[in-house]
Amino acid sequence: MSVHEQFADDLSLYALGALQGEERLAVEKHLQDCPDCRRELVQLQGDLALLALSASGPKPPLRSRKRLMAAIAKEPRRTPVRLVKRKTWWTALEWAAAAATVVIVLLLMRQNTDLRRRLADLQADSAGQQRQLIQAKELISTLTSADAEHFTLVAGKIPPQPQGKAIYVRNSGTLVFLASNMPKLPPQKTYELWLIPTSGAPIPAGLFRPDTHGSAALIKPPLPTGVEAKTFAITVEPGAGSATPTSTPIMVGIGE
Amino acid sequence: MSRAASNVVSPDAMLVSAIRSGDEQAMAQLYERYSSIVYSVALRVLGDTGAAEDILQEIFMQLWRSPDVFDATRGSLPGWLAVITRNRAIDSLRKRRPETDITDVIVSIEPDLVGGAELSRTLEKIRGALGGMPPPQRSALEMAFFEGLTHTEIAEKTGEPLGTIKTRIRAGLLTLRKAFNP
Repeated sequence: MSVHEQFADDLSLYALGALQGEERLAVEKHLQDCPDCRRELVQLQGDLALLALSASGPKPPLRSRKRLMAAIAKEPRRTPVRLVKRKTWWTALEWAAAAATVVIVLLLMRQNTDLRRRLADLQADSAGQQRQLIQAKELISTLTSADAEHFTLVAGKIPPQPQGKAIYVRNSGTLVFLASNMPKLPPQKTYELWLIPTSGAPIPAGLFRPDTHGSAALIKPPLPTGVEAKTFAITVEPGAGSATPTSTPIMVGIGE
Repeated sequence: MSRAASNVVSPDAMLVSAIRSGDEQAMAQLYERYSSIVYSVALRVLGDTGAAEDILQEIFMQLWRSPDVFDATRGSLPGWLAVITRNRAIDSLRKRRPETDITDVIVSIEPDLVGGAELSRTLEKIRGALGGMPPPQRSALEMAFFEGLTHTEIAEKTGEPLGTIKTRIRAGLLTLRKAFNP
């Protein structure tokens, strides 16, 4: 350790508390700027502690202990109540914060799990719906395509007859209608399909003109929901169609 | 054996921490450990048992009232107690108000040196070092420390030059240091 020689002796005296006046001030000023001398001062105080220990031996009388402990017992408590209370208060807050954190984390984990599950369900639903949509599009495309070839199967040598097939779901008001071998119509005329309810007037269910093969299809024409169908019927109407049948039906459903 | 200050929290620091929270049992334990050191130093300085008991009471009451005056990271408790006891006893001897701020006292000494079985060996070493000093050196050192005489007062009392007294005091302290750091 490099202690400044000019302060070496004075540091010992300073540690002993023997310096006064300007000498003391000079050492204190130097100590402020000199870490080496500060370390040396600590060492010197350790040296002094050893010197103090050389006096060890005598033990204090028992009454000293009693005197001390009695004095301590009489001392006003060193704000332990306030400290303990404060500590408890803070501890309670800390516990509450920790518990709240745990609850929040659990809730978030659960929410996260739920969201993941819902996302997986939605993805599954979406995929299913997409598959169904594709199938429906393919089905509609098949039914309505101009390139579609239609074949009517009959027994024996009976020539094919005009035929219509209506598939109806009452609750959703959904209707799919397929026709085949339909006779050709004059240009200003059209076929009109009618829903014949169990009660009330016939309801228009769509206009159609068969292709060159006599085939036609109506996919989900606009219909009210919940109407109970007695049967379906086809009439020949003016080109723009009619709100009520204007001719006798040429074809009527027979039910299955 | 190194005499460097340890920054490790010692059991003493734990007792001081307990005292800080008002634990009287911790205070009783600390008293059992170090009352002899405090009392011995005070008695050596003051030469009066009653006065030494008063200093003992004063030192421990101060620790009870303000345990934060001791910072465990800045030195050993027994070394710190020994030095502040000496300083307080000197002040009492000279009938003066305490001059030294005890929070400024940092003692570089390992607790082990004065703990339990080590204390007798430590004392043996200290007394051996003091016994090996030239008598004028030891005398100057002890007059300065236990009697609280200034170097000027020692020079006047012994008739030796002031510079010689300064040098003897410093040399005496370094001799003690070397006994533990050969």
